[in-house]
Amino acid sequence: MNNTVYRGKSGQWAFMAHRIAGTLVFLFLLLHVVDVSLVNASPRVYNEVHELYGNVFLRLFEIGLLAALVFHSLNGLRIITYDFFPGAVKRQKEMLWVVLFLTSLAVVIGGWVILHPFFFGSGD
Amino acid sequence: MATSVEPRAPKTSVTDQPRLQRRPRVNTEVWSWYFMRISGLFLLFLALAHFFITHILHDVTDTNANFVAARWQNPLWRLWDWSLLALGLMHGVNGLRFIMNDYIVTAWKRATTKAIFYSVVGFLFLYGTITILTYQT
Repeated sequence: MNNTVYRGKSGQWAFMAHRIAGTLVFLFLLLHVVDVSLVNASPRVYNEVHELYGNVFLRLFEIGLLAALVFHSLNGLRIITYDFFPGAVKRQKEMLWVVLFLTSLAVVIGGWVILHPFFFGSGD
Repeated sequence: MATSVEPRAPKTSVTDQPRLQRRPRVNTEVWSWYFMRISGLFLLFLALAHFFITHILHDVTDTNANFVAARWQNPLWRLWDWSLLALGLMHGVNGLRFIMNDYIVTAWKRATTKAIFYSVVGFLFLYGTITILTYQT
């Protein structure tokens, strides 16, 4: 990967992370088309698959999806900001920290909600 | 014997012209650039709201076949989900196209990877569209 490193500072890592997060969300979307389409083929199989999503490992996977989705969304917004307000590039590093802070916040709060049924039961 | 330096031959290459005098090219890559920003803004709203409803307001195990049946009784939810499908796949295909262009250097490998990739995504787009259109509550 050495020959693909441009400057190796935060801006480049944000660029790499944006691509990786986008790819992961996209791969999940491909899987998601198939799992939702099961509802037409067999509602019973659809239900079994969605019970499986309640497994703790797949809940962690769900939190990973949340992290990738929120990071890619907010970092995308950051990129759009520079395209339309070029002066904002001067503050790119600070804006990256804001993106990372908001992503962490979403992961902590969302992660709590997603893992809650595993630790404390679904309350049904 | 010292000779005087010959004056250089005038350059004629297009890249030697000052940047601003070159005619800006409006091609498909410019449209692709706009598309990524506009679809991205729509997806930011559609995808985050979708995740919030199906993973935060509801538990993932509650989003069973009954949940889908109740939701898809409303054609606006089908439109929402289809917009996510269409915009998400197009935005993702274009993003992955950038990545393939950057990292797959050999021409035949790039062409083969793209052909397989576009076929798989095209099939899933049709499959998802058929699911949303033909589902009977």
